[in-house]
Amino acid sequence: MTTPGFAGKILLVNLTTGQTSSIDSAKYEMYGGGHGTGAALFWDLCVAPGDWDLQDAFDPRNAVSLMTGPLAGTGLSFAGRTSVSGMSPQSYPVNWFCHSNFGGSFAPTLKMAGWDGVVVIGKAESPVYINIIDDKVTIEDAKALWGLTTWETQEEIWKRTGVRYGQEWQEFEKGHTLQRPAIVTIGPAGENMTRVASLVHGGGSGAGQGGFGGVFGSKKLKAIAVLGTGQIRVADPRGVRDAREWWETKWPIGPPFAGPEGSIPSSCMGCRRGCHNRNQVHGLDSDNCAEQTWYNLAPPHKGTPYEIQWKMTDVAQKLGLNAMETCFMGPMSFEVPKDFPIQPRIPAYTALGWYMKKMYDLGVIGPGTKFDTSPLPMADIEKPEFAEIYGLAIANRVGIGDLLAEGTARFAEKLGRLPGDFDVLLRLTAWGYQDHWSMPTVEWAYGNLMDSRDINNHDMSLGRKEKYTCEQFVKILASRTAPYNDPLWFDYSWKGERAYKTGIYSDRKAQWVAWHQHYATYYKESVLLCDWAFSNLFNENSPDGKGYTTEAEPRFLKAVTGRDHSFVDGMEIGRRIWNLKRAIFVMQGRHRNQEKFAGYYYRPGASYCGYAPELPIFDGSKWEWVNCRELFFEDKGVEQWKTAFFKVEGWDPASGYPTRRTLEELGMRHIADVLQAKGRLGPA
Amino acid sequence: MAREKESEKGKISRREFVVAGGTVIAGGAVAACTLSDASASQASDEFPLSTAYLVYDSRYCAGCQSCMLACSLVHDGAASTSLSRIQIARAVLTKYPDDIQIHVCRQCPDPLCVKNCPTGACHVNTANGNVRMIDSEKCVGCRKCLSSCHFTPHRTIWNQAAQKATKCDLCVDAPYFSKKGGPSGQQACVTTCPVGALKVVTELPSQLDNSGYDLRFAPEPQRGQATTSSKTGEE
Repeated sequence: MTTPGFAGKILLVNLTTGQTSSIDSAKYEMYGGGHGTGAALFWDLCVAPGDWDLQDAFDPRNAVSLMTGPLAGTGLSFAGRTSVSGMSPQSYPVNWFCHSNFGGSFAPTLKMAGWDGVVVIGKAESPVYINIIDDKVTIEDAKALWGLTTWETQEEIWKRTGVRYGQEWQEFEKGHTLQRPAIVTIGPAGENMTRVASLVHGGGSGAGQGGFGGVFGSKKLKAIAVLGTGQIRVADPRGVRDAREWWETKWPIGPPFAGPEGSIPSSCMGCRRGCHNRNQVHGLDSDNCAEQTWYNLAPPHKGTPYEIQWKMTDVAQKLGLNAMETCFMGPMSFEVPKDFPIQPRIPAYTALGWYMKKMYDLGVIGPGTKFDTSPLPMADIEKPEFAEIYGLAIANRVGIGDLLAEGTARFAEKLGRLPGDFDVLLRLTAWGYQDHWSMPTVEWAYGNLMDSRDINNHDMSLGRKEKYTCEQFVKILASRTAPYNDPLWFDYSWKGERAYKTGIYSDRKAQWVAWHQHYATYYKESVLLCDWAFSNLFNENSPDGKGYTTEAEPRFLKAVTGRDHSFVDGMEIGRRIWNLKRAIFVMQGRHRNQEKFAGYYYRPGASYCGYAPELPIFDGSKWEWVNCRELFFEDKGVEQWKTAFFKVEGWDPASGYPTRRTLEELGMRHIADVLQAKGRLGPA
Repeated sequence: MAREKESEKGKISRREFVVAGGTVIAGGAVAACTLSDASASQASDEFPLSTAYLVYDSRYCAGCQSCMLACSLVHDGAASTSLSRIQIARAVLTKYPDDIQIHVCRQCPDPLCVKNCPTGACHVNTANGNVRMIDSEKCVGCRKCLSSCHFTPHRTIWNQAAQKATKCDLCVDAPYFSKKGGPSGQQACVTTCPVGALKVVTELPSQLDNSGYDLRFAPEPQRGQATTSSKTGEE
């Protein structure tokens, strides 16, 4: 019998043959849903057959999956995201297996249609979209949709489905509905197989990082539309509603993130956060996050007015561009010393727009150089029209847009600027991803390096707290990191012996990063609890400062699935998925020697973009808050940390390959067998 | 299509009303009086007024549909947008305020769903504040309550799997609700709404059109700190 919270089947679509089939979800339940199931499907469909080299994300054999989690659509808050997994064209230099996720109503609707997810392989001969109405799945002609923006595409599919908004009930074989299909689609950026293309659902729920829009484009897949009239079964309906109320009452959540003045917050299905805005058209349905600052110019340009930023965000969403990767600065900029190579301030992200302008200012690109900037009107960069032309040039690969469409790292490579710019100008943390508050909170940086993208885990709540001493604070964090509960995990000592003993190169930091990755891999990427709320180790609204992590997750899961899993049981599922991912990376060629940060991490300035630079430091006898803005890595220390990390994970310290013992302990003998046959299993 | 159907029966839909100078004019229809303020302000001879009405503030609805998921959970034991007795329809690419439509059962003074039910399944529950509700044991699935509802879309709900109709009962019969429901109790949708855009009132709202149930009571959203400023923000 299908576990409550799961629909019970996964839709497999082969676009080459046009065939669709159903996979029993129970086969993948040990991977938890979401990204875990996506990884296991990728292994079975792409890795285990052993018939290709797993290098090109645009290869039709790449399997891209859109998976739901067990909590989606059950009425629990922050739980309705859709995970996207597959090989990513964005990561540099290797197209690593990767993940992204997006909110909205797609996951709940897919489950109400009776599916836990959709996995797509192959490539259609001409543009198509997948249309799901409950059990009925058809592959529809999308020639007339090809070239449309993400918003136009959705409007067009809504017209075709015939559900008239707010009028009468639409009757289908299995049930009635007043809802319109939930649609995830690509824009021109995806169609033209740029490496900076997102998947867009609604006005601005998007999966940007990973570049999965380009993967859709490579498959000639314009969109997936779903309408569900069924029910999502839960083990304890009373318990689900009560769990939400208990959680909201015990840990009251703050006001919505601010959108434009006068805007009305809106939320994904089932969520209370209000991180989107209702006044979408010329004012977003994007969440109030990185995409809102897509066109925000860095100093010395004057700050871009909000109204223009918001309007330009719509441009990025309609074209289906990865806003984080292609933006001009990010949300903010930081002061730097007068002799720092980036002046007058350093942008949060040295993203494609910013770097392109920097190259123009340095005379590397522009009229008369080897790389003409046509069609970009560079003299008008402060005008909103520039942003529109910039977006269109990338999405349609026009002129210099063709180079920019390869993403920041590959653009720099084509200009002949690598690896030198990684030391100074180009702050791409690992695998070509924009730095994103990764330092001095080193667990974020290490996570990027061990995973395949910017891990985007904003869950540390670091920085000085008024109500708590530093020692009290780290003890609170420790109380919420079961089963280790070690305050020394949070020592950010970075100089001298202490850095190696309990600080940023220590065994303890290796354990903390492993915990953080296992947590994120299961609870955030597979159960699909939203990053806006999970994990929560420290909580200012709680009387004792303790967050809800370790309490909320198992209570939610038990109410929905009926399984009596403890928090630590879930962490073990996270470890399993994390090991499976490691095996996929290794089959793609990952080796310890490749796992190096960009050069700027090893130089002063590495932490100049730190959002919360005041961190706990333990000097051997007492804790204190210390501003770690000057923190940077030393190579020897990072190498020691890697050895410690591989030991914590039960991997071979010399190569970083998983070992049979660890994989079998996690119930994955079949993975070990494939690695062994390939000669990529760590020694026993 | 729905309109044609209703016209045939000599009924009117909400959209056919023209309210001018205090006079309700319904093009060619004869049932307008059933919805006029004059007649609605008092109980009909046949049916006592409900003692409670679910109303909403459409300005600040966040469109999260948490109310719908809570409704189906407490009544049906499963989450479903199709089974929810409150319906929020979203058009995320349409400009505010037309991007969200809220459809609630109005607990009509003259409930045609009750009047037209041939088995007595749809009834006025005098033991529970006169709420109009359906006894599923007695429902034979004739759908008369669906077709006789005044409003488009109809507020009675069809359960395809069970082949029975349901409707909002203000949580009188909500077997999976751990609170006391009903007109004098709590309602799953109201307790779940994160923005306070739903509430139950005891006074009969204006019956002239939908706006009678769309009241202005929700608190204006608190503005969080700007998170994306070029000066101070975070994301």
